[in-house]
Amino acid sequence: MGWCGALGDRTGRKLSSLSALRNLHMLDRQKSDGSISDRDLMVQVAAGDRRAFEQLARRHAAAILRLTRAVTGQAATAEDALQQTLLSVYQSASAFRAESSVRTWMLTIARNAAYRIRAKSDRQSLVEERLMELGLGAGWGSGDPETIALAAERKDTLLRALSTLSVQDQEALILRDIEGLQASEAAALLGIGERALKSRLHRARLRLAAALRRESEMSASAQEGPQL
Amino acid sequence: MNEKTVAGLQCSEVLALLSEYLDHELDSAMVERVEGHLLGCPNCERFGRSFGSMVVSLRRDSIASESVDSELVMRLLTQIDRLTTEA
Repeated sequence: MGWCGALGDRTGRKLSSLSALRNLHMLDRQKSDGSISDRDLMVQVAAGDRRAFEQLARRHAAAILRLTRAVTGQAATAEDALQQTLLSVYQSASAFRAESSVRTWMLTIARNAAYRIRAKSDRQSLVEERLMELGLGAGWGSGDPETIALAAERKDTLLRALSTLSVQDQEALILRDIEGLQASEAAALLGIGERALKSRLHRARLRLAAALRRESEMSASAQEGPQL
Repeated sequence: MNEKTVAGLQCSEVLALLSEYLDHELDSAMVERVEGHLLGCPNCERFGRSFGSMVVSLRRDSIASESVDSELVMRLLTQIDRLTTEA
């Protein structure tokens, strides 16, 4: 059996092959459920349709809140940023030029709003760690690399690990892996080049893997209980 | 981590290329080299598979399709109505 074959983890379960994951990862998650498109809704919002605006807001509020929470770090300020975003969208709907998707446009407004709320002096500095150090932290070369996949299967653990990362890491993961934006869209939204985005995303994924290992270790320690 | 060179690539080079491999951003010649390395390096293959599973977990619908509290949206829309009426 070659590298494509399934390899059992310590629990006896099978993890999918990397090539299968590679294809699964690229599946287009855009749904075509027959509901009205974002662009059509925008036309109606621009014409003053309040119900269309409510529908657009409900459709994208969760994605906006995920991003603004990552930037501001607080639920309350994230909601403030969401409100500012919705207000901007409502007031400038007629200015939407369809140069990007409606979702990307709204996320761009949301990110700007969140950064305005967050004091610029509070921005975290980007510390460039060597890739091999990041890999080792993520379990590369360890005896139990499956730990990160198993921990990631638990949604609460995954979200907790994600929340421990820097804003820049969370933004890259949210835009590319959770919201599924194209690399070019995410790079434009973040104001960086595609090459820089790819590098940031890879490092963010490795840091997420390391955070998942930490979460897994803490969970195991908690289950063992205090040493008497 | 014992670095190995398989299919002309070192383990650290494969580590650096994993995301681009997963995201279909490598040309076919490089995909062939990465896959050749994975075929002959169980350490990189196991790590790559777990890393790939993690990325797929991020993309699962249950995270992307999480909805926001309906009351929150209504409250914000009401505030926006007030702000736009006052303006």
